[in-house]
Amino acid sequence: MAGQTGTILAMRGIQKRFGDVNALDDVDFCLGEGEVHALLGVNGAGKSTLIKILSGVYSKDGGTIEIAGKAYDLGSPRAAIEAGVAVVQQHPELVGDLTGAENIFLGHESAKPGLFSRIDRSGIAARAQAMLSRFPIDIDLGRRVADMPAVDREIVAILHALRLENARILILDEPTSTLTEREKASLFSMMKTLKAAGIAIIYITHRLEEVFEIADAFTVFRGGRNVATHTVKEAREKKISIPNLMLDSDKGLTFPPRSQKTDGDIVLEAKNLSAEGLFRNVSFAARKGEILGIFGLVGSGVDELSKALFGVVAPNSGEIHLKGRAVRFRSAAQALQAGIFLVPGDRRSEGLTMDEDVVFNTTLANLGRASLGGILRFGDNRKQAAALAAKVDLQPPKLDRALRGFSGGNQQKVVIAKGLYRQAEVYIFVEPTVGVDIGARSKIYSLMREISRDAAVIVISSDCDEVHGVADRTVALYKGAPIGAPDRATTRDQLLSAGIMGEMTA
Amino acid sequence: MISGRLIIRLLAFIALVAVIAGLFWTQNAAFLSEGNIRALMRHMSVQGLAALGLTFVIVVRQFDLSFPGVASLGAMTLGWLIASGMPLSVAVCGGLAAGIAFGPVNGVAGARLALPDIVTPLATRGLAIGFSYFYSNGTSISQNFFMSGILDLNDRKILGLDMPFAILMAAAIVGFVVLHASRFGRGFYATGENRTSARFSGIPTRTLIVAAFAICGMMACLSITLLVASSGAANVTAGNQLLMPAFAAVYLGAALFGRPSVGATLAGTLMMSTMLNGFTLLAIPYYYSDAIVSTVLIAAIALFDPRVSGLFRTLVAKKDKTA
Repeated sequence: MAGQTGTILAMRGIQKRFGDVNALDDVDFCLGEGEVHALLGVNGAGKSTLIKILSGVYSKDGGTIEIAGKAYDLGSPRAAIEAGVAVVQQHPELVGDLTGAENIFLGHESAKPGLFSRIDRSGIAARAQAMLSRFPIDIDLGRRVADMPAVDREIVAILHALRLENARILILDEPTSTLTEREKASLFSMMKTLKAAGIAIIYITHRLEEVFEIADAFTVFRGGRNVATHTVKEAREKKISIPNLMLDSDKGLTFPPRSQKTDGDIVLEAKNLSAEGLFRNVSFAARKGEILGIFGLVGSGVDELSKALFGVVAPNSGEIHLKGRAVRFRSAAQALQAGIFLVPGDRRSEGLTMDEDVVFNTTLANLGRASLGGILRFGDNRKQAAALAAKVDLQPPKLDRALRGFSGGNQQKVVIAKGLYRQAEVYIFVEPTVGVDIGARSKIYSLMREISRDAAVIVISSDCDEVHGVADRTVALYKGAPIGAPDRATTRDQLLSAGIMGEMTA
Repeated sequence: MISGRLIIRLLAFIALVAVIAGLFWTQNAAFLSEGNIRALMRHMSVQGLAALGLTFVIVVRQFDLSFPGVASLGAMTLGWLIASGMPLSVAVCGGLAAGIAFGPVNGVAGARLALPDIVTPLATRGLAIGFSYFYSNGTSISQNFFMSGILDLNDRKILGLDMPFAILMAAAIVGFVVLHASRFGRGFYATGENRTSARFSGIPTRTLIVAAFAICGMMACLSITLLVASSGAANVTAGNQLLMPAFAAVYLGAALFGRPSVGATLAGTLMMSTMLNGFTLLAIPYYYSDAIVSTVLIAAIALFDPRVSGLFRTLVAKKDKTA
């Protein structure tokens, strides 16, 4: 296909059905040797299913797979590994208490494995270091994985996937979702080295700008079909719009219009708020009728700042004022009581009870409203949850379904419904669209705008375009300190350089 | 809300109990006699009360090994108060108070001090057993028992039901309302399934964990009160027989009905009691009963384990579709 060199992988006419749903319908997918090929599509478009078939997790219902000209069945993960397919999952399962080197060779500790062969620690460290030295990056593989930054863990996971010398195809499933802009650079340089060594990379991402940064070609999935495969060069020359390919309609990612109102009442105010080692001297005022945006990379202190405003992290100095009165929250319960709602950055572990249904989750943050004299008002709860599900456009609108059964975007909509049920006066959104497909993103942004009419909304994110696109006034946090003050006039490039380099150039 | 899946699980459960009962009946026709069924229900009452209390602790995903010790302390407190001539109501309340007082020790250790929930309850259990020897240096207490009226708790009938079973039913109704129809119930489940998200939703998670242990301790003491009433004496080893059946009932119920709940625990208890009663009728020596209960417990935990129960659930789901 794209590469000038040979084709390493050719999947043709792939079929996969789950019950009545055609997850993949007659899909062709080809990959050139040493090619970085981005796999794009909204959640449920079929890209994960294709990857799972290629890595032997699912068996295909029809079609053929050829790797380097040889037909394979790939009936099990083991068969896929033997065929040279290496996979790095979205959240790699590493052993936190072992070192990076030990993780890389987990299960292959000894060159000549036997039941009683001893684990050769120095040998493992040397082999791991030798693997790493092929790449223009340097990390400490002797550290415990639990102490490593996210990017180092990703590198360890990639090395683990490549530990068998036969790997010819590497699959990376959203590797940048937890990385900062700066950390991405190490990952990309590693990918370039692999590419030069002839390893083809399938790269799944939700961030379209990365396609132009690192990929040679891309394929867009929609509704279980391959709707387009282009080289990045073609896309540039012909100005092909990827969002349009991903969505059925012609609409890409849209932000709602900004608010014209600048004089809303100040609801929440931070005055020189500091928490040791996390953030310092943060001041801002969030007004009713507008959205305040705070941009900061992972590790810049933004997540901790949101938790300080919500009573979970205790600030050392400075003040929080709510409607003009100084407040000090000792717990999330107190912050909620005072009218603050946090849409947390990690919705699975902080925002939702995944095994419970939509009604349970929607009403959880306001059980006082959900009950009368302590007894739950089942009928009313269901009615309210149905109304809120309609308001946030929950798909499918199944109130009895456990949250686990919804896509990332729809899970986030339930967190928002939960916030709406709370009827708060300040809504803090942290990383509101991580792992959310484009269609749901637009909906979430318009919900944030709608909420801002009656409440103060603060959006905190490591996605600069998101903060700049959705907020009225923006400020960046760099290594815990704000760069400048929230301003309507800050441009996207100013915000980006403030958040990444700590200075407002341009 | 009664979903189709719940009805299928319920039918499956009833069929299972019917099969077990049928098997025992073919071996010994006395199994379905009125006297035996009453005996079964009495047995179920004692075990069920302890299991109901334990359900709360399992729902918040903690582990309580201390309640048998706490129950022994409750039994001795009750016996001592009766022997000292206290009115029955005071004595019973005193016994329950011992449970309410001891349970929170586990909760505080687990929720506030973040101590491991396996070790602390073991220590608390030892502590409670130690205290239970204070009253009589370990000899059983039965003075004043005939006069006090405690035996009525076992012998009397209410609405045609034996008193112990009536108490179990009352406790089950209260437990059902708290766990499944009240805001506190939501809090218990939310705390157990995702403590961080519960905390971020304003749920007082630590208080609820302490409360779960207190409820467990109190229910263990209520259960032991019935046992004391039926045996006519309080002794320091009374609580020991509660541990395995209570765990087995909660886990077996959870495995059968998908998650721990009041209904599931009652179902689990019914099943355990049916089996133990049946084996007794078949003249299988009582000392095998712990082995039987333990076997059932292991099977139940295996089913409750997410990996195995996932398999179990897909089987049920498939049946749902074909049905």
